[in-house]
Amino acid sequence: MAPADPTSTLTGALEDYLETIFLLVRDKGFARVRDIAMAREVKSGSVSPALKRLSEMGLVNYERREYVGLTAEGEREARRVLARHDLLGRFFSEILGMSGEAASREACAMEHSLSAEAMDRLVRFFEFLTICPEMDLHWLEKFHCCTVVQEDVSSCTRVFPGPSKPRVDLREEPKSVTDLVPGREGRIRQVRAQGAVRQRLLDLGLLPEVVVRVERVAPTGDPIWISLQGSHIALRRCEAESVLISEE
Amino acid sequence: MSRELGEEPPSSLRIVRVALAGNPNSGKTSLFNALTGANQHVGNYPGVTVEKRRGTCVRDGVRFEILDLPGSYSLTSYTPEERIAQEEILEGNHDVVVVVVDSNTLNRSLVLLAQVMLTGARPVLSLNMSDEAFRAGQRIDVDKMQVLLGFPVIETVGHRGLGADRLLEAIRKSAITPAERPRVVLGERLDAAILAIRARLGTAVFAPALHGWVAVKLLVGEQAFLDAAERGQEEEAIREALQRRHQIESETGMDISLFVTERFFGFVDGLLKEVVTHRARVDARELSNRIDKVLVNRVVGLPLFALVMFGIFWVTFSVGEAPMGWIEAGFGALGRWVSGWWPDGSSSVIRSLLVDGVIGGVGGVLVFLPNILLLFLGLAFLEDTGYMARAAFLMDRVMHLFGLHGKSFLPMLTGFGCTIPGIMATRTLENERDRLTTMLVLPLIPCGARLPILMLLIPAFFAESWRAPVLWAVYTGGIVLALFLALLLRRSLLRGEDAPFVMELPPYRLPTLRAVVLKMWGRGWLYLRKAGTVILAISLLMWVITAYPKPEQYQVDLEQAAGRLQELDHEQLAAHRAAEDLRYSIAGRLGRTLEPIVAPLGFDWRIVTGMIGAFAAKEVFVAQMGIVYSMGEATNGPETLRAALRRDYPPSVGLALILFLMIGAPCMATVAITRRESGAWKWALLQFGGLTAIAYLVSLVVYQVGRLVS
Ligand SMILES: Nc1nc2c(ncn2[C@@H]2O[C@H](COP(=O)(O)OP(=O)(O)OP(=O)(O)O)[C@@H](O)[C@H]2O)c(=O)[nH]1
Ligand SMILES: [Mg+2]
Repeated sequence: MAPADPTSTLTGALEDYLETIFLLVRDKGFARVRDIAMAREVKSGSVSPALKRLSEMGLVNYERREYVGLTAEGEREARRVLARHDLLGRFFSEILGMSGEAASREACAMEHSLSAEAMDRLVRFFEFLTICPEMDLHWLEKFHCCTVVQEDVSSCTRVFPGPSKPRVDLREEPKSVTDLVPGREGRIRQVRAQGAVRQRLLDLGLLPEVVVRVERVAPTGDPIWISLQGSHIALRRCEAESVLISEE
Repeated sequence: MSRELGEEPPSSLRIVRVALAGNPNSGKTSLFNALTGANQHVGNYPGVTVEKRRGTCVRDGVRFEILDLPGSYSLTSYTPEERIAQEEILEGNHDVVVVVVDSNTLNRSLVLLAQVMLTGARPVLSLNMSDEAFRAGQRIDVDKMQVLLGFPVIETVGHRGLGADRLLEAIRKSAITPAERPRVVLGERLDAAILAIRARLGTAVFAPALHGWVAVKLLVGEQAFLDAAERGQEEEAIREALQRRHQIESETGMDISLFVTERFFGFVDGLLKEVVTHRARVDARELSNRIDKVLVNRVVGLPLFALVMFGIFWVTFSVGEAPMGWIEAGFGALGRWVSGWWPDGSSSVIRSLLVDGVIGGVGGVLVFLPNILLLFLGLAFLEDTGYMARAAFLMDRVMHLFGLHGKSFLPMLTGFGCTIPGIMATRTLENERDRLTTMLVLPLIPCGARLPILMLLIPAFFAESWRAPVLWAVYTGGIVLALFLALLLRRSLLRGEDAPFVMELPPYRLPTLRAVVLKMWGRGWLYLRKAGTVILAISLLMWVITAYPKPEQYQVDLEQAAGRLQELDHEQLAAHRAAEDLRYSIAGRLGRTLEPIVAPLGFDWRIVTGMIGAFAAKEVFVAQMGIVYSMGEATNGPETLRAALRRDYPPSVGLALILFLMIGAPCMATVAITRRESGAWKWALLQFGGLTAIAYLVSLVVYQVGRLVS
């Protein structure tokens, strides 16, 4: 049966728990009830009901055991929450120029109160600001110099004689298998997929340093057909995008 | 090859239990067939076998009990059928585990061997497909490999049974020599970690032999193993594993699953460096690639696929026509001959049983054997060449539009043969929702058993020039409806994210004539056996309820006696009486009770009795119509049956009937298998109820519109 859509019922507090578990597992390798309680600064007794709810939603593996693990779904959800938090934090610090700690606090306060739609639009706006190549980033610099950083408004026009390095880091998107045209090869750098798909890809030999080649794509462009070390594998673009490469 | 089949083993026989494990499509089932003489399903795409299969072979006083397993890429559970293989290997109930690998992709397939070695099993390695690797120029120092690994390594060619003898010998030897546990060298870090975790494991929950594998699983943090360890109070081992994992991750900067997988591949690489004396000089898939340039071409790939499918059905129906005619004539003659044993007009029960029940019923089904054989020939061709996997690749996008999966297409293709194996084949789908969706709509794919219905009804109601298009429309209609229903399900009951599509594509392989013929024959034999057992039994039952009870007095006689009817000749009288017999019988009464329900579709009670039979098995519909008509008219033979149908029902009823039987009321076996594979009655009932309701609506519209038009 279809589980209820987790995003629709996940409350702010539960999201925080998810995030905590994710971070604990990532940093320490495991998450126990008491670790979670400690990290969230609550009593152990109040953790269990939350874990039970999360477990009912199929997000964590928890049946009154000490070790709590995230399901694939839960991990995805946690990453989503984390990414959102991160983004809001960056918005407050990089765009609005607040200090790191204050920004993080604001992000915390704001993240659960925004509707999914408002959040989505904010994300897009932020992405637009940072990624759109045609965007003249000077306005942001000007904004910073005029209203936030500098008290002296009159100096702001003198600060920017010409183009300067944008303050926001425009990270170069690494290439994935999908960027290869049929017939081209690339060396695998990283397999970003998670959970069962990741294990399947690894088992099939998609490991770092292995050379893959795109043989062809399906008539409709998806899935694609790759070969590596004598075996041929079909996979959808969506999965192939998680296989990062550097072109040979 | 020497194997004594069906021979009773003497009591002194030693029994050796063997499991065949390996990557999907590595040739396990081919080897299994070669060893045991079985005729299990083989096909050139991953995921053919989805269940354990047992077989035996006796040799030199040893009885080998061989278990064929579904393929799996690693011992980490993933799809339901992979889990079966995993459990079987971990349970350790086997004296020997034969790991069957594809020699063309050793660097990947030997990883499973390394994992099996860690489970403490006693392995034997079968380097299968050695013919292809040899042709490509790869040479392996098998002796050195045996020494390095510490257990037998045999080169085999599964589909030709080469090396099977040596394999059995090796299995026997390694089963009796208590070989030392083979060592897997996975690098300092991992070996140390495994050792440390092992040292802390007790024997309460995990058998000592299994400890190596358990250590790896605890290290990567697999939930099932953590749970088991926790239940067994293995806190120390868990803590050690967590610590080691943390340490490895921070030292190497890799996550643990990547690290462990890489180490396994590293072990294989090291081994291959030692034993491969000549690497493949040419690409073994050279020819395959060239064929694929055309068959999976971006422009002509899909049209070609449509053409191939069309070709298969065209052959099924057109080439099958002539032999069908011969069998028809044969049964007609047989019926007349048997009738001839009794004097004309005799009402002997035995005669009716033989002529109407057996010949009319089962004969009506057997007539379609040629078509069935041809259909399976076509499917065998798709499966054995490897084109089937390409079909999944080509169709993935289309299937995706309907919320399904490229791999869902394989069970559907299988469903053209029979819905039951199709539903079983859904086990290869990773995602439960995909699996259920595919399972639920699968009965819409016109199966082989519905072929006789089509072959009876389409020529009965459609003019020559219309038959082929109608047939084509029925088949495509079934698929299109299945897709739309799938979409509906995925948007309502079975909503959820799309499952990933990752699938291996094997090279094309030329099927051996023997394999194709055996496969076709296997399916044909199943059909014959079904006709001779289930269908025969149900036909006889249907005959009984159609023949009995007999009225004591006939209305015709009464009417005639009362002078209300003009003189009837002998034949007319008989016909009237037969019609009354029918109406008076159990089937007649049952049919007439249910008639009001289907009357809006234009069906009468005779059709109802056929549909009751169709629920038992679809073919019975044809048999039952034969019984009804041969009893009612003292005539027989499918041609006259068609003529009678044409006479009694307008074409709109014919079309409504075809649609109803194609869409609605999946057979008993389908309901049962859906219950089993979905694990819940509700899905089976939903399938049955839903499809029947849709069939009812569609037939209703067709019949009512047809009535208005004419
Ligand atoms: N050339 C060659 N082909 C083989 C050999 N063994 C098997 N085949 C073919 O390989 C294909 C796969 O064989 P199967 O026996 O179905 O493989 P399997 O391991 O049982 O596959 P799954 O049940 O899907 O896991 C078939 O088309 C066989 O005819 C071999 O040694 N050489
Ligand atoms: Mg098999």
